[in-house]
Amino acid sequence: MTEINLRLKKKLNEVFSIEPNDLGTGFLNQNFKKITAYFKTIPFVYVIPFTFLISLVLYLLLGKLLVRLVTILQYGF
Amino acid sequence: MDFKTFLVDFFTAFIIVIKRFFLLIIYPYKTMRRISLEKDYYQLLIIAGLVFLYFKFIYFLRDKTYLATLVFLFFIFNFLLTSSFFYLLNKFFNSNQNKKETSFSSFIFTFSYSLFPTLIWFLSTSLLFIFLPPPRTFSLLGNTFSIFFVAYSLSLLIWKLILEYLAVRFSSKQNFLRIFYMMILYLTWFLPYSVFLYYFHFFRIPFI
Repeated sequence: MTEINLRLKKKLNEVFSIEPNDLGTGFLNQNFKKITAYFKTIPFVYVIPFTFLISLVLYLLLGKLLVRLVTILQYGF
Repeated sequence: MDFKTFLVDFFTAFIIVIKRFFLLIIYPYKTMRRISLEKDYYQLLIIAGLVFLYFKFIYFLRDKTYLATLVFLFFIFNFLLTSSFFYLLNKFFNSNQNKKETSFSSFIFTFSYSLFPTLIWFLSTSLLFIFLPPPRTFSLLGNTFSIFFVAYSLSLLIWKLILEYLAVRFSSKQNFLRIFYMMILYLTWFLPYSVFLYYFHFFRIPFI
């Protein structure tokens, strides 16, 4: 029983180690919570489709410039 | 401490580092929170070792470059500079309020783990340099590769930003707006500093 209590205490200390974010208004706080919830668990589920969409849009906007950018990036390591 | 204890501690830390690498993909928030309370310094040694191995590897790929050890020492200097900057800035913010004291080791641990996206991008780019050397052409394959590469790089950049934000959040215990200011202040000196690193051929893209 004592061990369970200790583990629970440790977990609670870990969870409450930081104060919740306060952005000033209730509207901002609510939306901030909603958006950040997507990044807390398996963010790649949203990140990968989003980045593909962005790179496709960039390709349509920049065209050959994007290909040149990739060439520069490939020398960037 | 005898050699057997060292070996056991080292391999335990190695398994934890691998496990946390996957957990940072699946549960970045929870994992980074746990990392901020970490005290096992072998984990830092393993991450630093991986970075050193990467620098050794690219030493044979890049022309007219510095010795891997020198680049690694420069990386350590940059890393400590970044961690100290956030730590001292946090201390300055905390001096105006009655907030809980934060430890420097927490910054070191969280920033070390947030190096994973950087390491993966740099390693994959250097491997692609061998198997698909630039320049990219304007053919269908070249265009498709470019779209995939940009999407891949952006994904890792977003992962990096998430981890970096969480690292500062759990180490400094500041709120979002404060962290945003801290990041802006960091970029005001780090961007010109990156140009300096590029000019002296240390890093083309800063390894941080």
